[in-house]
Parts: sequence; structure tokens; C-alpha cells
Amino acid sequence: MNIQQNQSLMEKLAILTDAAKYDVACTSSGVDRRGNGTGMGNSIAAGICHTFSADGRCVSLLKILFTNECIFNCSYCQNNCNSDVPRASFTPDEVCELTMEFYRRNYIEGLFLSSGIMISPNYTMDLIYQTLYKLRRIHHFNGYIHVKAIPGADPLLVEKAGFLADRMSINLELPTADSLKKLAPYKSRATILKPMRQIQNRITENKNEVALYRSAPRFVPAGQSTQMIIGATPEHDYQIMRVAESLYQKFELKRVFYSAFVNVNQNSELPMLPGGPPLLREHRLYQADWLLRYYDFTVDELLSESRPDFNIYLDPKCDWALRHLECFPVEINRADYRTLLRVPGIGAKSAQRIVKARRMNTLDFQDLKKIGVVLKRALYFITCSGRMMYRTKLEEDYICRNLIGDKTQIPKEIREAGYQQISLFDTGMELAP
Amino acid sequence: MYTFICNDSPNGILSGIYDAWDFKIKQNRKFHSGEAAAPCSHTDISLLCREPENYSLFCEYLPVTESEEKSDKVAKTILKRLGLEFYDTLLNAILAITPESRSAPDKADAAYKTVVYALSSPLGAAALNDLANPYVHRIFALSRATGAEAHHLLGFLRFSELENGVLFAVIHPKNNALPFLAEHFTDRLPQENFMIYDENRRTAAVHSAGKNFMLVDASDLNQDILNRFSQKEQEYRSLWQTFFESIAIKARTNPKLQSQNIPKRFWGDTVELRTIGP
Ligand code: SF4
Repeated sequence: MNIQQNQSLMEKLAILTDAAKYDVACTSSGVDRRGNGTGMGNSIAAGICHTFSADGRCVSLLKILFTNECIFNCSYCQNNCNSDVPRASFTPDEVCELTMEFYRRNYIEGLFLSSGIMISPNYTMDLIYQTLYKLRRIHHFNGYIHVKAIPGADPLLVEKAGFLADRMSINLELPTADSLKKLAPYKSRATILKPMRQIQNRITENKNEVALYRSAPRFVPAGQSTQMIIGATPEHDYQIMRVAESLYQKFELKRVFYSAFVNVNQNSELPMLPGGPPLLREHRLYQADWLLRYYDFTVDELLSESRPDFNIYLDPKCDWALRHLECFPVEINRADYRTLLRVPGIGAKSAQRIVKARRMNTLDFQDLKKIGVVLKRALYFITCSGRMMYRTKLEEDYICRNLIGDKTQIPKEIREAGYQQISLFDTGMELAP
Repeated sequence: MYTFICNDSPNGILSGIYDAWDFKIKQNRKFHSGEAAAPCSHTDISLLCREPENYSLFCEYLPVTESEEKSDKVAKTILKRLGLEFYDTLLNAILAITPESRSAPDKADAAYKTVVYALSSPLGAAALNDLANPYVHRIFALSRATGAEAHHLLGFLRFSELENGVLFAVIHPKNNALPFLAEHFTDRLPQENFMIYDENRRTAAVHSAGKNFMLVDASDLNQDILNRFSQKEQEYRSLWQTFFESIAIKARTNPKLQSQNIPKRFWGDTVELRTIGP
């Protein structure tokens, strides 16, 4: 191992940030907490982005590992015990200093502390707990904290940390138990799901406690999240989304994150992905995840054993609508909220505004535009007072061709990033009639 | 037709609403007593918070003298009858800069007509949902613009620690986001002395530990003190810079997405993007 003595805080920060960057969750959302007048910090439920890094991702939290030393050898991870990377560890005081000073200057919304596993899961979890304790009780930090629960650590330590954190997460890492066995031999579904269940149960109990005594300490008030790596193993989108759906339903997770695989270790057993990480696939999964959480869709409506992957050319909602033309067109002035949500080009906010605005006026297409409906997508699927915007055919091929012609189907950032999958897409475009 | 010309500020526009309302009542009293030839309705009146581009022969222009007393009365009525959410939306819209647009009604007029609409219809505060109404829509859009920029700045604003321990930030917002920011940071940093300076408007929010903030005119700010930073300031900036560079994933580098998410006009006031910025 490559342990250096007398590293400066700067060197440690560089190493332990670099080692944490593949964790995708960086949101500070989910809890509203006003300042307490004495300590430092508050929390805004909508979350706040403080800057955007060169990859265009939101930076909200000081996302670092406590240490990148690790006794395990997960093959997708650059910190695994066999990889030859510089190693470093913070002390709890160093993490506190960075968090407080960055927070005061409004660089960050709070701390996201994860860690490699040093010596043992318990040893590591205890260091994490100590750090959180100092931050909350000695420095009176009242901002956002997201902390990783270390699989295999004593449930008591996990619980103690949970009373100091806003959000906890344990990464599922890979979509199936089989893949996990292959790539992360020291982890198992059981060691991951057990603490996840523990946290879930404790959150539920805590809600009752808080209902009884308003001053009861809060346990993980912003809920728990997890992440899966996409594209390192052969699962289809259908399997991945089924897993996500059951995490939402059975474990009441707040968020599931998807992380496009980057072969950091140049491991020949894993996909090499010369075209870069599967970003478009990741994007489609996030869109579908959104449909599950806010648009009342189920996975089985979107995918099936015989159609196990999302259409790269169309977002999942358009794709669904095209296969269900019998549900359209929808009359804007009458359709219920749930039906409006299913129309391509109408987001949750627009649907809410439509429902409110039409109580006062009959809405026409101009009004929809003001409300924020994306008409060039919605126009095939709606009527206002019985009339369509243009005379269009309600016919799958015709609409599909027009929708694919709409460049926003592939997000700008991916279109312009110039990955190989886009040239694939371009070929597809040429083939399309 | 009557056009009231008021200042482009919360005080100015709320005073304008007061004057317009008051004028209408008095005009109608005159009509009933036979002094005036015709009754007056709200549609005969408009508000303008800038100089008119063309003066119309058939319109009477009336300047508004702004006063705390008038604007307080209007604010209280709105708060009491339409609630805090309505008031916040209206105020955010008033704090927005008005983009050049001939087709849209003037900001002050939209505020006036929206208040009249809400107070005189059974909808009350729910009048704000009537986005098909051009005045309401204008208020909705302007308020959203201010809200969005203020929300951006909650994250993009950067404090520097001065030699005397005060935290100092400079911002250059299009809309007047300062009151909103001051409130946020007063709640967040109750034990800090800080100052947020809007260089475009030359106003500042000043907060001393344990107290509420004050908005002050800052046209004669002592630039000298502002450039003397604490000993540790440079060190934390460099640490932050290091973090910022290390957190990006090379394989996903995407400058277009970056500047789409944090528009370049904000870069100059940050620590991490200042040197790369325009
Ligand atoms: S346990 Fe965590 S840090 Fe260690 S190798 Fe596996 S993924 Fe990496």
C-alpha cells in the first residue's frame, strides 16, 4: 500500500475528493430546518447547488471519503486493496475544520461523508460517528449531513450516526446478487439490505416518537438513498428498474441513483467502454425513475421481459404514449390530473397549473404555452375544447418520426458531449425515414 | 385615461397602487356629486414605473409621490386579505428587472391590475392561478425570474473573510435579490458579522451577530477594508479550489452542461470559476 507520512491537508483533500467522486448523490434536499440562532446552519428542503464542476454536475456538499484505505477488493472501485493509488485518511478534526470553514464562506450546503473500510467496518463506522458528533455537538453545525452506513458495522453505531445525520445511504452497488458476488466478493445482498432495513424501521419509529414528543431527536429526517452502477454488468433496464421500484416500495427509499460505469482500474474482466460511460442510458433510467416517483407509472407499464430496455431515441414517457395511442387525445379542459401527467410535454408543475387555471377559464393552446407545456411534444396527444392544434394524424409511425426529429429527445449535454453513442444515434437518424 | 408614474421600487409601486385606488374613489365621489362628467373604473387607470415612451394626447399623466405610509397601508391590506404567499409573489415580481418587451404590460400596471382583480373577485389569492389573464401571467413570470435568480445566488454567492473577521460578499444580480438573500443568511449564519453588497444597485445588507439585518445605501463603501483579507482566507480558497478540481469526473467532462447550469455571468463572483471566467 502506498501510505504517505506527513501529508498536508491539501494533499489529503485532493486524494479523498478524487476517491469520492464516483458517488453520484450530491443533493442536499429533503429537509427544512431553520437556523437555531446560536449554531451555524440551516437546511432548505429543495436543496441548493453551490457550483457545477467541469463535468456539469451539481456540487452541493463537501463530498469526501474519510479514508480511501480499504481492506476489500471490489473490482469496479479505484480504492480496492489491490489498486495502486495514493492513500490518505483524515482525522475527525480535519473534516470538521473543512466543513465549518467552507460552510461559512457559502461554498457548500453541508457534508457528504463516505469511506473506504479501514481495519474493520466497526472501526471505520466509529470514526465516522466521532466526526459527526464533533461537528454537531462541539462546532454546533446545523447544516446538512449525508453519511454512508458501512455494511457490516454494528447496528448500534449506525443508529448513533443516524441521529446526527440528515440522510443516510448504503450503496446497493450492483443490480443483482449475482453481479455483486462476482465483482464485490466481500459484500453480499444481506450485508447491504440488513442495515437498509434497520434504517427504514428506525425512521418509522422515529416518526411516531416525534409525533408524541415534538422535541424528540430526529433520526435521518431526509430519508435514505442508494446507488447502483450501470453498465458494469449485463443486467437489462427492466431488471434495474424492477430493483429500484421495490426499493421505493419495500424500503421506502427517498432516491435511487444510477451511476454510469467508468472503468477506472482498466480491469479487463469489466467492460472497457471505449465510447465513454453509458450516459444516455443513465439519463433514460433517471427519466424513468422520475416517472415512477412523480408520474404514477409502474415499471411493468414501461418495460417487459420482451422489451427489456428503454428506447434510446425517445424518452420513456413518449415511448409509452406511442404504444398507447388508444388513450389519446386527451381533452385539456376535462382530463383528470393523473391523465394529464401521462401526456408527453406536460410536466407535473404544468399539470397542476392546468387543473387550477381551467377552473376560471377554458384553456386554449396559447394559455398552455404560457403555463409551460412543451407544445411541440404535446400537440399530438391533446385537444383544447375538442380541437387539435394542427390537423395531425394519431398514428404511431407518423408521430414517432416527428418526435425523433425533435432534438430535445436527446439531452443537449449528451448530444454535445460527442460520445460514441451519439454517433450511433446519428446513424440511426440517417436510417430513419 | 389616467396614467400614474411611479418609481421602480417596492415603495414606489405600492404607493402608486395606493394613489390609483384613492384617485378612483375620489373621482367617483365627484361624479355622484355632479362635479365630474363620468364615473371612473380601474380599467381607466394604468400604472407605469418608467418614463412613457410616447405621451398620448388623451391621457392624463399623474406623478406618484412615494411614501412609507402609503406603501405600508397597501402591504397590510394585501397581507390581511390575500395572505403571505400572494404578497411574496407580488413583491418578487416588483423586485424583478423589467425586460424590454413592448407586448407585455408594464410591471407596475400588472401589479396594480392583479391586486385589483384578486381583491374584487371571490377568488381572492387564488386569482394568481388564472394564468390566462395577461396581468396575472406577467406577475407570475416576473416573480419566477426573481425567485430563480435569488435561488441561484443562495448557492453561488461567496463570502470572503476580511481582516476584521467580517464575512463579505459581492453580487451582481439582474433582479433585486438582496432582501431575499439577506433573510436567508441571517437565518443561516446568526452568529456571524456579514455584509452582502449588490454592486449593481450599490446597496448592501449588513448583519451583526445575534441581530437582524439592515439594508443600507452603500455608495460610499470603503473599498480599502474590503481588500484586506484574513490570514487564513487564501488557504481556504485554495483548499476549495483543490476540492473543486478533484470532484469532476474526467470521462464526463462537459463544459456546455457546466455553463448551462451555472451561467457565466455568475462566474466572476465565485472563487472556483473566477479565473476561468470571462
Ligand atoms: S468496500 Fe467500498 S471502498 Fe472498499 S473496495 Fe469496495 S467499494 Fe471500494
